[in-house]
Amino acid sequence: MKGKPAKKTRRVVAWMNKAEYDHVFEHLYSRDHVLQKHALHRISAWKGRFGQNTPVAVASTADLVRCQVLDNTGNLEANDLVLLYGMALVRFVNVITERKQTKIAKPLRLLARNLNIPEWVVNLRHDFTHNKLPSLKWCRKGCEFVLDWLHKEYWSRQLGGQLTEDWNHSEEEDEEDCAKRQEEILLCRKKEIEGHKKVRELLISYEREQFQVYEELEEQEWQRGVWPDASADLSWILTQIKHFAADSREILVDVLVQDGFLIPTAEQLESLDIDPSEDSVDVFSPCLPRVFHQFWLPLLKVLSSFVFINLILDRLFTELSNEPSSHRAYYIASWISEILLCNSRSELKAHRQLKTSKERIFVNRLALAWQTLISACVNAPCPATPFLLQQILSDMDKPLPPDTQQNLLQLCSIYTQGYHGNSSPEPSDPAQPVYTLQSLQERLKASQNRDAHSSNHTPASLQAPPTEELQEKLSPEVLQERNSALRGSAWSVCTDKVPWKQYPLGKVPGQSEDTSCFMVESYFTLNVFDQQVELDQLPRHHGNRSVPLQSRGATGSDGPLWTHNDLSKLKAGLKLF
Amino acid sequence: MTMKVNKFSSHAKHKQQNTSTHHRLTNRHKKCKLKKISLLNACPGPAKLEQHLTEKEKPRLKRLKKSYAKPVTVNPENSFSEEVKDKAASGCFTRVHTNGDTELEGSSNSEDSQEWNAYANSVLQNGTESLTSPDTDQVDKDGLQYHAQLDHTQNRAVLVMQQDQTLCFRGKCLLTCLYGSVEVLGFTIEEGQQPYQLFSPPSHCPLTITALGNNSSSNKNKKEGRLEAKAIVRKYLSLEPCKRLINEVDSNSCVMLLEPLDTPLTRLLTSFTELKEIFGINLLELRSQAAIHNPALSVVGVKALRQPCAQGLVMSHTYNEALDRLLSAWAGEFDRCPIILVCGAKNCGKSTFNRHLINSLLNQTASVEYLECDLGQTEFTPAGCLSLNTVTEPLLGPPFTHLRDPDHMVYYGQAECQTDIDRYLESLKSLWRHCSGESPVVINTMGWIKGHGLKILIDLIRLLSVTHVVQLTCKDMPQCQLFTPDFLKTTHGWQTHPPTPSTLTEAPASHLAVRSYVFLNIISEFEGAGKSGEMRFQRSNELRDLSLLAYFSKMQSPEPGPMRPLHCFIPYQVPHSSVAIGVVHCEVSPNHILYTVNASLVGLCCLSEKVAGTGGPVVLSQTPICQCVGLGVIRGVDMARGLYFLVTPVSPSVLKHVNCLLVGQITLPIEQLTMQYGAEAELPYVTSDYSFEVMGAGKIHIHKGLLRRCFIK
Repeated sequence: MKGKPAKKTRRVVAWMNKAEYDHVFEHLYSRDHVLQKHALHRISAWKGRFGQNTPVAVASTADLVRCQVLDNTGNLEANDLVLLYGMALVRFVNVITERKQTKIAKPLRLLARNLNIPEWVVNLRHDFTHNKLPSLKWCRKGCEFVLDWLHKEYWSRQLGGQLTEDWNHSEEEDEEDCAKRQEEILLCRKKEIEGHKKVRELLISYEREQFQVYEELEEQEWQRGVWPDASADLSWILTQIKHFAADSREILVDVLVQDGFLIPTAEQLESLDIDPSEDSVDVFSPCLPRVFHQFWLPLLKVLSSFVFINLILDRLFTELSNEPSSHRAYYIASWISEILLCNSRSELKAHRQLKTSKERIFVNRLALAWQTLISACVNAPCPATPFLLQQILSDMDKPLPPDTQQNLLQLCSIYTQGYHGNSSPEPSDPAQPVYTLQSLQERLKASQNRDAHSSNHTPASLQAPPTEELQEKLSPEVLQERNSALRGSAWSVCTDKVPWKQYPLGKVPGQSEDTSCFMVESYFTLNVFDQQVELDQLPRHHGNRSVPLQSRGATGSDGPLWTHNDLSKLKAGLKLF
Repeated sequence: MTMKVNKFSSHAKHKQQNTSTHHRLTNRHKKCKLKKISLLNACPGPAKLEQHLTEKEKPRLKRLKKSYAKPVTVNPENSFSEEVKDKAASGCFTRVHTNGDTELEGSSNSEDSQEWNAYANSVLQNGTESLTSPDTDQVDKDGLQYHAQLDHTQNRAVLVMQQDQTLCFRGKCLLTCLYGSVEVLGFTIEEGQQPYQLFSPPSHCPLTITALGNNSSSNKNKKEGRLEAKAIVRKYLSLEPCKRLINEVDSNSCVMLLEPLDTPLTRLLTSFTELKEIFGINLLELRSQAAIHNPALSVVGVKALRQPCAQGLVMSHTYNEALDRLLSAWAGEFDRCPIILVCGAKNCGKSTFNRHLINSLLNQTASVEYLECDLGQTEFTPAGCLSLNTVTEPLLGPPFTHLRDPDHMVYYGQAECQTDIDRYLESLKSLWRHCSGESPVVINTMGWIKGHGLKILIDLIRLLSVTHVVQLTCKDMPQCQLFTPDFLKTTHGWQTHPPTPSTLTEAPASHLAVRSYVFLNIISEFEGAGKSGEMRFQRSNELRDLSLLAYFSKMQSPEPGPMRPLHCFIPYQVPHSSVAIGVVHCEVSPNHILYTVNASLVGLCCLSEKVAGTGGPVVLSQTPICQCVGLGVIRGVDMARGLYFLVTPVSPSVLKHVNCLLVGQITLPIEQLTMQYGAEAELPYVTSDYSFEVMGAGKIHIHKGLLRRCFIK
């Protein structure tokens, strides 16, 4: 589940944001023991979040600062303090060098040298563990030095962003992860190959079915005129394809745009009675042959989801930019145009031959990523580019200013006029300089930026599911049912009108940005005693007799003086903070 | 409750019908104790409130059951053969790849356009090409092994298996036995029983379906049986596929209906990119090309495996022997209700054995009680929970596929018990009080069997008056201490002492002979025994994350739709002063405690004390041992109004009683925090700037078995 080979992996940390980290950092090194104490308490809360993953530098800093605080508040004798400092320093040297340890034990001295920790600190550690206890003076000196070291090496470098680290080589990831990643890659590749194979088979059987339908229609001489509803076999194939698409949409799209599927081969066209020669079509305003459109309609209808349509548009434009043969380019452009048409606003519907909703791939207008589409479109110049661009421009949710539209179209025509002859939609203005594709893109970018300022909406990432449906909605009945089940308790269903999906876990509406927002001034301490289970209360089953048990201390010889119960009561009275 | 009765009556029925015919099963003493069962049904446990509540919750989960298998690990000893396989496999990859390419290019320059025009069926030559490729021949040959046909209209498959035939598979499906009976991980499924969910993900050893044939054949003659079976096949299949299958049907074959399995759980898991393959095959199987191509089976989500990957569960001689002993103990050879404690080091097969044992017991009894003492690899709950469960449905998949609300649960909050052994043992004792003792009890223990772990086990054996101790050991592992009754006579536990001769004479009750227990040692012989799984989904932290995901998948709507991340749910709210909060695993300053609580996973617990603060949070001074009803996530803290917001799958009628929230070391899977679609604010607690290159940025690292220079030659 973890460790994707991403550029910058997102990590979960204990601080809410950088501000909280900086806040604690500042307080730790403030030399004011009130602030230091505050930071120590916050770190205790961090440890609750981190669990076993508390960074050793954070833990060591906290231990050492705690010693300093106790030293400064002056309630402890020198000998007490030496013991405290001793533990903190020994732990620091050991845990910080442990990472650098290899299979064969290396002396701490060597490891420390590589970490810029001088030998005297290591010797101090050795004195604590094996030798005469060092003096308090040395303890303070050692603590001072180590805190400086941590300041320099950890606190000021962490989250600073000065390091461009390669996450693949981070300390955290060991061989296991590497092996796992390779395995994943291998698995993915194999999966992909199999996916391709499978989807080709499926599509071929789809085509076979559809040809059969076509032949039958042909025999009946199109008496019914329309294609029949999908037969059982065909729906079965469609279901399978749909299932497949749910899993591996990319692969399906990959295959669909290959020759022989959405891009018909000459033979296929012939068998559908379509003239495959290029003279018969208008390359400037591509349009799918009706029969061919009908041929694929059942499949595309099944697949038409927001994500799929976006994906296939994206793919078609990519293909178009790869300078395909004119035959391919024509059909790619036709499909793009077809999809755009389906999405067009109602007033444009009459634009071409009236299509009943039955003949459209999808009926409801989708929010396409318009900006992306424009760039994709101008990135893939072909004879039909002005035509497609026109379609996109007139269709956008937030249309570009008319002059921008005009300019874009004009530029586009200029660029594609090699294909064009005199049929450009706008007469070219001789005053206009000659644009290259690059300058066109730059202009486009400029216009996008302008647009981005005016409208705050950014195109949704293709990967992310549409988020509108994500927000849970409870019907009034469910709400009432839940609240009546909770009646009599302090619990209730939150009925605030809050779009929760906008608030990530850990954030609520109106939450202050202040790092001290969760501080509580007053709290109530509750002492709860364990429900002690006396051993003799344990059930005996069917006359089972367990071995007679004695709790420790009952025989009085070697058990501790206090039972667990006593200890619990003692602990309950103990206040740590 | 109704389920129990159903199960009981179905058993009772076939018991009556088939008493004389259960030859195969009699060696397992499959004598249904009608009396015992009816007794069980007649007396519900103490009518405690919580119990009542949990009971009510049950039907929702009842059908979610799964069993599961062992990790399969690459054995280094096999590296040679593996290499060979590797080569073969990579050869295949390339070939497949080339096929794909040729198909691609070949499509436009085909020559047989006549045939094409005649019947449009060669839309693409590659279509016909791949049909005749050598690959396909092999596929067909393998496909013959399994006679399965698809019902296209309903998208389900009918599978016919001959007696003793086995099908070892990866994937998932819903299995209904239409004719005869089959066995899966010890559980016998017979015609007329409800459909069962089978899950066989790559995290564990694959499931095997074994056809047992038809038990009731003696009542009818062979011909009648055959006709009946054929009639069933006809009922489920249309003419064409039926024709292809009908000749395979005989009076002692088994007919099964396999349907695709699509639950909120499977939808949620597969919606994560990293978990797409969670119901696929593992790398080892991929390398050895173990998947058998069978279109009908793969449509319903079953990938049959061929040898050598189709070994399934490897049962050693000692394994079978122990299982037989335990089953006969329940069937009456033993005069007490068995309390079976299963122990052994990590990865020796404890939990698979547990599932097998429970499933086998469920052939004979309506329910089995299960005490979970393993905090890290829990069977029915997310990690960190100790629980007592009544199992009435077989376990036919790994733990994360059959999470259930236990009868009683205590939230320990950590995946290991070292930090507070007393609380661990006290928690178990408090659970044990609720054990009814009317059905067999299976106790699962930790893999920690050294040092204090050994002492804890000794305590458990004594405290829980265990009647059978099953210890799994691995063949290749250094010998570990066996928990024989003799050993127990002389060893101290953490809380308990061995009986001393003096107390025997002093204590008046001790003249009753002290009962010992039966000790059974299983030597695990499967490949990779004792080693932790290294492949995807096999490591313990991944399995823990899966369990948590599965737990929260209960919140997803049962209808297909987008999978909602946790932050999109409408939360419950509760005032700060009405619930106590506590951190289980470390001391947190109470003034700062909300920094720990916010966006954390919490155990939802019920204290008997009334919780009423004076404004501000109520902080526990120590961790109580109390009933836990489930887990939730503190989705936010409203400081202005003094409210906690909580999202949880626990139903409101149970949530009502919750007055204590415990934060433990068990954390949400990181994706739940790092991937929150739709959230507009900056994600709290998430950063992409944290650098592990910086000194001291990692957690404490422990080198085990560090070598000293002086010991190296």
